[in-house]
Amino acid sequence: MYSVKNIKAKGVIVELICFLYVLLFVYAATSKLMDFEQFRVQLGQSPILTAYANWVAWLVPLAEYMLAILLSMKSTRYKALFMTLGLMTMFTTYIILVLNFSDYIPCSCGGVLEDLGWTEHIVFNLFFWVLSIIAILQLTNYSTRKPISI
Amino acid sequence: MMLNNVYIKLLGTIVMSIGLMVILFLSSEEQVHRNNAFIRRFPPHPVIKEYDIDLGFNSYYVAGLGKDMVYLGNSTAPLHLLKINLATRDTAHVKLKLSNTDLPFKNVHVQVQPPFFFVLDGSIPYIFRGSTNNWVAGPWMRNEAYFTKSLVLDSNRIYIKTMQNDTRTVTLGLLEKRDHFSVELHPEILQRQIDGVFDVDGIMLTTPDKTRLGYVYFYRNQFMTMDSRLKTLKRQQTIDTVKKARIEIAQLDRSKTSKMKSPPLVVNTKATMYKNFMFIASDRLGKNENREILKVASIIDVYNWSDATYRYSFYLYHMGKEKVHGFSVNDGRLVALIDNALSVYNFREGFVDHTPYGEQENITGQ
Repeated sequence: MYSVKNIKAKGVIVELICFLYVLLFVYAATSKLMDFEQFRVQLGQSPILTAYANWVAWLVPLAEYMLAILLSMKSTRYKALFMTLGLMTMFTTYIILVLNFSDYIPCSCGGVLEDLGWTEHIVFNLFFWVLSIIAILQLTNYSTRKPISI
Repeated sequence: MMLNNVYIKLLGTIVMSIGLMVILFLSSEEQVHRNNAFIRRFPPHPVIKEYDIDLGFNSYYVAGLGKDMVYLGNSTAPLHLLKINLATRDTAHVKLKLSNTDLPFKNVHVQVQPPFFFVLDGSIPYIFRGSTNNWVAGPWMRNEAYFTKSLVLDSNRIYIKTMQNDTRTVTLGLLEKRDHFSVELHPEILQRQIDGVFDVDGIMLTTPDKTRLGYVYFYRNQFMTMDSRLKTLKRQQTIDTVKKARIEIAQLDRSKTSKMKSPPLVVNTKATMYKNFMFIASDRLGKNENREILKVASIIDVYNWSDATYRYSFYLYHMGKEKVHGFSVNDGRLVALIDNALSVYNFREGFVDHTPYGEQENITGQ
C-alpha cells in the first residue's frame, strides 16, 4: 500500500516538523532567559499565573529546552511530540483564557514573538498545534505500517 | 487498533492540558483576589495622564473636588484657595474672609462643598461656614467639641475624629447641627491594638456623593467603610500582610502623654474613595516588584469595598523626587498633587465605571 518513497516522504515531514519545533523552542526559551527578570515580572503581572509566576518562569524555558533535546533524538521523539502537543495546548488555552475570562489583557505575554497581536498569536499557536498532531499521526502511521510495507 | 489508540492519546493529552491550565487560572484568580498573598496586579494603563498644572508650591491639598472644579487649600497660607476648572484649565485665586481671625489657630483646614465652604480648626475648637458666592465665612461652631481631624459631609454634618474623654482613646463620630449641636461617637469602629491612639491612626474618607464613609489605618492592613450615619460597618483586609501595627510607644508618665519610640511601619500612606472603590497608596512592595519603582512612582491599590475584593494596582509617577502628597478621584477623573504640580488623569473605560454602587445604579436606569 505504501511505497518506500512515500514512507520516506512521510519521514521527512516528521523530521521537518520536529526541526521547526526545535527552532521554535530554542528561540523561545533563549529569548526568555536573555531577559529573565522582565519575563518573570511580566508573568507575575499576567492575570492568570500571578500567584505561580516564580516557578512557572523557570519551568517554561526549562521545558522548552528539554523538549528541543527530546524532539531531536529519534528514540524519544514520539513521547516528546505528545508533550509538545500538551504544552502547545496549554499555551493556546492560556491565551484564550486571558482574552475571554480575565479582568484585563496584559500588554504582552513576554519573550516569544512579542510583536504578534493576540489573534495572530492564536493562529500561530494553532498552526504549530496542528503540526504536532500531524507529526504524531505520521509517526504512528509510519511505525505501524513499517513492518507491512518493508 | 493502533490508530484508535493514538486518537485516544491525542484527545487525552489535549483535555489534560486544557484542564491543567483552567485549574491554574481558577486557583490563581482565587489567591490574588481573596487571600493575602500580597501579589499586585498591574493591568496596562488604568489611568492616562491628561495634563499637569504648575502650582508653584508643594503646600497645596485638595479641599474639594467636584465634577469639573477642584479647590486646593494651602497649608502655609490657610486663607488662600486655588480654584481650577479641570475642563477649561482656568485657575482663579480666592481669598477667604473670616468674621473673626483673632483666634489661637493651630491646625486650620479648608473644605469646599458648594454652595458652602468650611474653615475648621479642631484644636480651638472653631468652625466657620460661608458661601462660595462671596467666600465670606462666619462662626458655625464655637467650643462645642474638640476634634483632631474632620471631613464635611453636608452643610450641617461633619465626620470627626476625636479623643474620647473616659477611655483616652481615639474615636470616630459625627458632629451635627440641627436646633442645637450633637456629637455622636462610634467607638466600635476603631479597634485598639496597642494604645488606641497611635495604632488606630489613619485616614478619614468619604465618597464624593457622601453616601459612604471610610477609614484607612496607617499601620495595619485594614480599612473600614460605613454608611453616612457611621452604621453598617464593613471591614476589609488590604493585600498587605501586616495585621498588627508595628509601632513602639513610650509613655511619658509625668505629662500623661505618649510618643512613638521608633519610626513606625506605614502600611497605607494615602487614600481616597469613589463609588464602591477604595484607592490606597502604599510604599510596600509585593512579589515580583522592583524596589527601584518606589523612587520614581507611588503605588496605588484599588479595592472594591462592596464585594470585598482587591481589583488592581497602578503607578502614579513622580515628576521630581517628591512622592504623591495627595490625590482624589471623582467623575472618572483622578487628580494628584505631585511636587509643585497638579496632575490630572482620566480612568480608562472599565476601571472605575463598570461596577456602580447602590442607588447610582438606579439613577443611570440600569
